[in-house]
Amino acid sequence: MEIGVKLYGEFKKYAPKDDDRISLDNGGTVAQALRSLGLNDRDLSYAMVLVNNIRVKFDRHLQDGDRMDIFQPIGGGAEKLYRYVGKPVPRIDARDKVTGRTKYSTDLSFPGMLWAKVKRSEYPHANILKLDVEKARKLPGVEAVLTADDIPGHNGFGIITPNWPVLCRDRVMYMGDAIALVAAVDEETAERACELIEVEYEELPVVTSPEEAMREDAPQLHEKGNIMHTMELRKGDVEKGLEEADVITEGEYSTQFMDHAFIEPPGGVGIYDEEEGILTIWCGSQYAFRDQLQIARAMNWDPRKIRVIGSPTGGAFGGKDEITVQIHLALLAYHTKKPVKLWWTREETLIVNSKRHPMKTKFKIGATKDGRFTAIDVDVTADTGPHDTIGAPILNLALESSPGPYQYPHSHFKGRSVYTNNAIGGEFRGFGAPQVVWGVEQEIAKLAGKLGIDPIEIRKRNALKLGDISSLGHTMQTSVGVTETLEAAENSDLWRNREKIIRELNKKHPGKLHGVGMASEWHAVGLGVGIPDFANIDLEIHPDGKIVLKTGAIEIGQGNITAYAQMLAEALEIDMERIEVAHGDTFKTPDSGSVTASRSVLVNGNAIIDGADKIKKRAILEAATILVEDPNNLVYEEGAVRSKSDAEKIVSIENIAEVCCRRNKPLQDVGANIMAISDKDFGDGLPHNYYTFITQVALVGVDLKTGQVDVLRAVSAPEMGKAINIHGVEGQCEGGVVMGQGYALYEDLKMEKGQVLTSNFTTYIIPTAVDAPDIETIIVEVPEKTGPYGAKGVGEAPTVPITPAIMNAVNNAAGIRINDLPITPEKVINALKAEKR
Amino acid sequence: MKTVNIEFTLNGAKTKVTVPANMTLVHLLRKELGLTGTKIGCDKGECGACAVLINGKSMNSCLVLAAQVDGKEVTTIEGLENEGKLHPIQEAFIEEGAIQCGYCTPGMVISAKFLLDRNPDPTDDEIKTGISGNLCRCTGYTKIVNAVRAAAQKLKNAGGGGETR
Ligand code: FES
Ligand code: FES
Repeated sequence: MEIGVKLYGEFKKYAPKDDDRISLDNGGTVAQALRSLGLNDRDLSYAMVLVNNIRVKFDRHLQDGDRMDIFQPIGGGAEKLYRYVGKPVPRIDARDKVTGRTKYSTDLSFPGMLWAKVKRSEYPHANILKLDVEKARKLPGVEAVLTADDIPGHNGFGIITPNWPVLCRDRVMYMGDAIALVAAVDEETAERACELIEVEYEELPVVTSPEEAMREDAPQLHEKGNIMHTMELRKGDVEKGLEEADVITEGEYSTQFMDHAFIEPPGGVGIYDEEEGILTIWCGSQYAFRDQLQIARAMNWDPRKIRVIGSPTGGAFGGKDEITVQIHLALLAYHTKKPVKLWWTREETLIVNSKRHPMKTKFKIGATKDGRFTAIDVDVTADTGPHDTIGAPILNLALESSPGPYQYPHSHFKGRSVYTNNAIGGEFRGFGAPQVVWGVEQEIAKLAGKLGIDPIEIRKRNALKLGDISSLGHTMQTSVGVTETLEAAENSDLWRNREKIIRELNKKHPGKLHGVGMASEWHAVGLGVGIPDFANIDLEIHPDGKIVLKTGAIEIGQGNITAYAQMLAEALEIDMERIEVAHGDTFKTPDSGSVTASRSVLVNGNAIIDGADKIKKRAILEAATILVEDPNNLVYEEGAVRSKSDAEKIVSIENIAEVCCRRNKPLQDVGANIMAISDKDFGDGLPHNYYTFITQVALVGVDLKTGQVDVLRAVSAPEMGKAINIHGVEGQCEGGVVMGQGYALYEDLKMEKGQVLTSNFTTYIIPTAVDAPDIETIIVEVPEKTGPYGAKGVGEAPTVPITPAIMNAVNNAAGIRINDLPITPEKVINALKAEKR
Repeated sequence: MKTVNIEFTLNGAKTKVTVPANMTLVHLLRKELGLTGTKIGCDKGECGACAVLINGKSMNSCLVLAAQVDGKEVTTIEGLENEGKLHPIQEAFIEEGAIQCGYCTPGMVISAKFLLDRNPDPTDDEIKTGISGNLCRCTGYTKIVNAVRAAAQKLKNAGGGGETR
C-alpha cells in the first residue's frame, strides 16, 4: 500500500528522496512506517504523528492512501527530546575545582617572578603637586617604579569612555586612584617601596553626592561639568494617563553602594617575551578581547601582540568586566622583562573596584479602579563616581527596567548619572535594575493595597504578552513569560499557604512578626540596539574522536562552559565526554563577546548550533565521497553519517575527520551568531530584544525588639526560555536570592567625605550560610524560538526582585515601609515607632 | 630576616622547610610549596577560603604562622583525594552542583570534613553553622548544604562514622 508522508522540523532529514509517499506492506503500523523512513528509537520516543489529521499511537494500523504528518514537537517534551539539554548535568570543570587543581590567574607563579603593588591616592580629591619616587627606586629588591610618565599610550581606560587614569599625573579624584606602580622581589618589599613614594597633594573640595554635584557652585570634576550622562524616554502623554487614573501612588527611594564581593580578589600575572615581542596577561576577567584592546591603547601596541587569558575567574558579577590589574601588569612586565604578579588585597578591592551605583528614584504610577495601570513617571539620579567606565548604559538600563514587565499606555522616564568623588559606579549583576525595581515593586504593592487587589492579581492584569507594545514603545518580539512566572509563584506552597505559615510562625515566636511578600522583574538579555552583540566559536572534529569547542567566553563561575558542551553534544548527537572546551584566551579562542548582560548562553549557544550545522553539512559531503553515495541519500545522526537506504553504509565523524586530515582539509568550522535586535532604536543601546522574566517570593521574620529582619524562605520562578542546565539555573537563582538578600539587609559600602568606611569583610557584611533562606526554584519555560534550544538567559534577574520582595514581606509582617536600602535594624525600629504613633 | 626550621606532616608526607618567622601558613603552602588549592580571599581570617585541617581541626591558614605547624599534621584540599579517588565530600559537591566559580570550594570542603569528622549526622542547621565561616558569593549556599548532607549519607553508607578517612 501507498502512504503519503510529510515530515517537519529536524525530521525533514528523513524525507524520502524526490517523493512524498512510501510503500508499506499491507496492514503495516505507524511504527513500521516510521522505521522504514529511517527514524531511530530516540526519534520515535518523541515523534508526534497525525494520520489524516488525527493524532495516533504508533501501533495504529495504516490503510492504503492514508496521509501521515510526522512532527518533532518543538520545545515540548523536553525530558524525552534532549539527552543533555535541560538536565542537571555535572559541570565539566567541577572535578578540577573540587580537588584544588584549577589554576586561577592568581594561583600562577613563574621562576623569578616579581610582586607588584600600586601606590594609591590618600585623598578623595586633590591635585598632585609633587611626586617623588627616588627613595622607592633605591630600596634594595625594587626592580621598577613606574609613574604616568612611563605610559607609552593613552593614560586611561574605560569600557565606554577611557577617562579612568591608568596612573594619575596631576589630580586624584577618588580614594582608589592609582599614582605609581612598584615591582619588587617580594610582596613585602613592594609594599615598603610604596610607602617610600612621596606625594605632595593640594586637597580639593570633595563632592560627596549627586545633589551636591548638581549645585551651581559645585566644583566641576570634568571639563563637561558634573553630569556624565542624561537619558529621557516617553510614550504617549503621561499627564493625560495620570488624569485618567482613579488612584495614584507616589514614592521616593534610594539605594547604597554595593560591592561584588567575589571571593577571588582581582589579580594575575604578566609576562613579556622579548624575543617574540609578545605580552601575556593572565587575569580575572569577563572579556579578554576587550582587555586586550584596552591594554593596547594604553601601551600604544599592536593588540595582536597581546595575549590575554581570562578564564577561569573566581567570581565576577560584572566587577571584572572593566580593567582591574591588566594594564598595570602589562606596564610592569614590559619594563622589567620579568614575570610580574599583582593581586589586590580585599581592602584594595573594596576601595578601588567599581560598585553598584547608588540611585535616587522617584515614581508616580496611576491605575484605574479595576487595577489597570494608566501611566508611569520615573526619575532616576545615579552617583557614578569620578570616572565613566560603563555608567551611561547602566543608567539607560535602569530606565528600561524601571516600569517592570507591565503594560502602561503612557510613560515618561528621565535620568541622569552624576560625577562625584565617591567610589566608582560600574557594572554589577543587574546593571541598574536592582536600584529601580526596589522602588517600582513597592509602589505596585502600595497600589494593590489601595485598590484591595491581590498583589499577584494586579500584576497579572497588567502583564506584558508576546506581541504587545511595551511601556517604552517597542514590540515584545521574543518569548514573554510574565504571567507564567506570576502563576508559578502564586501556586508555590509558600504563597498559597502563606496565611497559615505566618500564623504558625507568629505563634511559635512571640516577639516576632512574620510576613510574605513578592515582586517581579523583566531583565534585558544582551547588549541592546546598535552595540556589537555577537559570538564566534571554533569547532574541530579530531580523528581520535575528540571534539574541541573554542570560545572566547570566560568561565566566571556561572557554568557557561558546561552549558556550551551540553548544547554541542546535543547538536552533534554525541557523548558529552568527547567534548573539550577551550575558553577565554585571545590567542587560542575566537571572540565571543563579553560574559555580561545574561547573554552568554543565548549568543554563544546560537553560534554553537551554527557551527554544528556547518560541520554536519560538511560531514555529509565528505561522507558522500567516502561511502560513494549520493549526498541527498545521506543523513547525519548520532555522530555519524549514514545512507538512508543501505544500513551498511555508515561512517563516523571521527573517521570522516581522519580522511579530511589526510586530505589536508581538517573537519573544522566557525560558528557565528549576531543577536537579533528590537524593532525600535531609542539610541544609546536601548531597547533590548530578549528578556528574562522572574517572580520572587520571600518569607521574613521581623524581631520587634531588635528590628532584625530574617529571611526564612524564598521562592524564585524565573522564565529564561529554556533551562539548559537545571543545576545551573537553580544555582543562579539561589546565589541571586542570597545576593539580593545581602543588598536588602546587610551590605552597605559606607562612604564619608569620599572615604570608604567598610573596607573589609568584618564591616562590609555579606550573607553567610546561616543567614541564607531555604530557597525553592520553580523553573518556568516559555521557549524562545530564536534561542538555542529555546533558551534566553538567566544570570542577572534572580538577584533583582528579591530585594523589594523582602521589603514587601516586612510590610506584610509589620505594616512598615522603608524606602532607603539597606533595611537595617535601626531603620526598622524607627519605622515601627513611627507606625505606632 | 629571621627564619625558622619546621618539620610537619603535609597531606601525609613528612615535610621539612625553612621559613621566615613571620610567614603565614597560607603563604608557605602557596608560595613556597606550590599548593595553590588553598585560596586567599581576604588574608585576614574573614572568608574561610584558606581553610586547612591542622591536626584534624579546620583553621584559616592566613591566621596561622607557618612556624606554628611544627610537629603537626596539615591536610589541604590536595590531600583529600586518595589515589585518584575523590573523597565522598568532593563527590557530593560535584553531584549536587555545589560548585560555581569554585574559589570558595576548597575551604568549604575542608570545613565540611571537619564538621562530618565530629558529627557524622548533622542537621541542616548544624551544617549551616559548620560552614558559616566560609563565604561563598555564587551559590547562595543551598547546594553546598545539600552536598554536605549527601556526603554525610555517603559516608554512613560506606560504614564510616567518626574520622572520615
Ligand atoms: S583568606 Fe584566610 S580567611 Fe580569608
Ligand atoms: S562558588 Fe564562587 S564563591 Fe563559592
